[in-house]
Amino acid sequence: MSDYIYSYRESGSSKNITFIVTKDCQLACKYCYLVGKNAKERLPWEVAKKAIDYVLNHEQDFQEESVVWDFIGGEPFLEIDLIDKICDYIKTEMFRLNHHWFNSFRFNFSTNGINYDSQKVQEFIKKNRQHLSIGITIDGTREKHDLNRIWKTKDGFSPKPEEEKGSYNDVVRNIPLWQEQFPGTGTKVTISSADIKYIKESVLHLYSLGIHEVNINVVFEDVWEEGDDKKFEEQLIQLADAIIDGEFYTDYTCSFFSENLGKPLDKKLQNQNWCGAGRMLAVDAAGNFYPCTRFAQYSLRDKKAWIIGNVHDGIDKNKLRPFLTLDRCTQSKQECIDCEVAEGCAWCQGENYDAAESPTVFERSTAICKMHKARVRANNYYWNKLYRKLELEGIAREEADKHVKKSNFQEPC
Amino acid sequence: MLQYLMILLDDTSTSYCHYNNKKSESKLISIEDLKAGIFFGMTENLMIQYVYPSHALPAEYEDVLESIDHSKIMPADNPNVDEADVVVFNDWKQMEGFSYSEGVSYVLRINKSDLFEQKVLIADTIEKTTKLNVVITDVESFCDEDFDTYKGVLQLWSEKLEKLYAEGKSPLLNLLTDRMQLEEMNNCGAGESNITLAPDGKFYVCPAFYQTNSDTIISPAFKAGSLEEGVHVKSSQLYKLDHAPLCRKCDAFHCRRCVWLNRKTTLEVNTPSHEQCVVAHLERNPSRQLLENIRKHGQFLTQQEIKEIDYLDPFDVKEEW
Amino acid sequence: MTTKLVGQVTVEEKNEIQQLFERRNGLTELAAILTPEKEELYEKLVKDMGETGTKFQGWWNSMAKKYQWESVENGNWEINFDTCEIFLVTP
Repeated sequence: MSDYIYSYRESGSSKNITFIVTKDCQLACKYCYLVGKNAKERLPWEVAKKAIDYVLNHEQDFQEESVVWDFIGGEPFLEIDLIDKICDYIKTEMFRLNHHWFNSFRFNFSTNGINYDSQKVQEFIKKNRQHLSIGITIDGTREKHDLNRIWKTKDGFSPKPEEEKGSYNDVVRNIPLWQEQFPGTGTKVTISSADIKYIKESVLHLYSLGIHEVNINVVFEDVWEEGDDKKFEEQLIQLADAIIDGEFYTDYTCSFFSENLGKPLDKKLQNQNWCGAGRMLAVDAAGNFYPCTRFAQYSLRDKKAWIIGNVHDGIDKNKLRPFLTLDRCTQSKQECIDCEVAEGCAWCQGENYDAAESPTVFERSTAICKMHKARVRANNYYWNKLYRKLELEGIAREEADKHVKKSNFQEPC
Repeated sequence: MLQYLMILLDDTSTSYCHYNNKKSESKLISIEDLKAGIFFGMTENLMIQYVYPSHALPAEYEDVLESIDHSKIMPADNPNVDEADVVVFNDWKQMEGFSYSEGVSYVLRINKSDLFEQKVLIADTIEKTTKLNVVITDVESFCDEDFDTYKGVLQLWSEKLEKLYAEGKSPLLNLLTDRMQLEEMNNCGAGESNITLAPDGKFYVCPAFYQTNSDTIISPAFKAGSLEEGVHVKSSQLYKLDHAPLCRKCDAFHCRRCVWLNRKTTLEVNTPSHEQCVVAHLERNPSRQLLENIRKHGQFLTQQEIKEIDYLDPFDVKEEW
Repeated sequence: MTTKLVGQVTVEEKNEIQQLFERRNGLTELAAILTPEKEELYEKLVKDMGETGTKFQGWWNSMAKKYQWESVENGNWEINFDTCEIFLVTP
């Protein structure tokens, strides 16, 4: 009798190691937090190799059961030749060194999807298929997507409003191939002030494209205008109605709706930090190490990069101590600690740092406060309505899990 | 709550702490700013401490300085050092042949290599002073070998202190006797209980943020207002003990918790480095032993209890909290 | 194709086969990029592939014996790593 294994999901502790392979991108998305994008800073192979050698030769400092080697940009697939070389080297070295990660590793990509079907990218996928996860970002309907995700000019700048050209067509043509190669993979949608009104139709549009998991979040930056929370809540309630009335809940998810949301948090038992910064490692073209890519200079508006070492001298563990001792309450204002709907309210350590009054990660930004509260109200509506519907159909609440697909998504950094 | 106002009288005012003053050219605080600083201290009910440079001040400053009750922190080579409440030795050689006075505190700023070499000189100085504060100026460079050496040095001083206490004397050496007497954290308090007025008329969290010049450490964030605007400490919560996750659970109560050194080594003012924590615990543990040893000679601090612990860096046991 | 739940293994047993599964995939992909010119590493790879394959089949054999799972001709067993459940799949 033959054997075959069909289901795999990361389990246990996992280390994320991120290569910032380029700071270049074909697009000039309006909500992009990367303020220092440019076409010059590309990760040199020698730097990547040194970073890999450092990490793999310090196995005692990286005890996590598994590893996710992340590649980000800019747009990572602009550097597919370099990525291919890096991945080959990682695999070979993990094997040569009998590293425990050889038994549990992934290569992960977040791409704009534009050159997903190129020969080089496709060859790379074929070669590394068993160890790949690739997410393509598509924001929803053409109108919503093209509102923000626009091509940059030939000179590499953001275009004038009258010259803006959306990227929807260039991405959506690759969705079927991507879903065929990575069935069930979700997409990540980012919401800022201008696109609140497109939320409902965008999520439904993504479902219609065959994407079953829509991971969606509002930006952490302080971009919200008066009344945005009300509009947001209205959109989410309309979306809730559409998902429930259309019975999409059986096979599709939208991460805005989660049962574990909007409850008070215990000061002691639920005092963990939300963000994984400091437990990750990022390296850039200069060979500097960061606690996460959001602490690299190109991601920061007002603060200096938080460098924790480099490929030559290694990691300065003292500079990780703040991240590894950071808890929820210490970085939160009293109103957040006392908040009745705190559960699920996310934060990005990098944005906290960037927005803080002084250079610290111990000061939580509350820019999304009213948006979170709006989400909680809509989320309550969603579950109350869904459970009542199931109840009326004769499905008891304890049986509901069999009838509802639930999102395991955590807010992204 | 603010209690102390440190006034740097000159750019070259002595450091009395871990940092080295990088400013080498004299620039006095203006008489107007000095007066305004004193006025601020009076209205805010702050105790004023003047920090002096090595050179004498112009005569016209004297009346202004004396217009308020204050303490004087002076380097040992200041010509008027006999007026000081706190004398700072920036070089151990200044201690040789120095004439010590009763009721004056002495600060020895010294690097680890000199500290290890001059352990006997320091042991002898304990006997000559009522209060000696030893401040190590390169704590961040301690390695495992240095920790071992430091342990031996503290043992030598502990034996000396025990002998003196057995003789009925009660000299104080911050590194070993402070912890014996403390029942809660007693740290430097920069940004919380004290603030610094610099010769540029601006307030700073502590003198180090004015007198050092590292780009990595210094940020406008550590300016804390001006005489015109008043004191405004940015992210002021970070200077409070309850916002320091490692320190709030720690019982090395005598540790300076130097916010400047924290910023320099970990980039956060509320987070100490591994070296800082280990050094503080290498001092804490023999303090416990010293307390027990002194009690063998008679009753001493009977209410005090220092528990035995098996770690040197609280970071290593953070999961147990 | 039909799928039928026929048993369940312990988490420890699941971890064992999951690790072998991952290793086998890693070795397969490595084989595509390692050439015989890198003699020492290539030999290590070939040896490891043999050993891992043997352990892999050994796990299924010993578990099948231990749990006496239902089987059919031309069928195969599958494991769900999330639930530790074993399924019989028949074409």
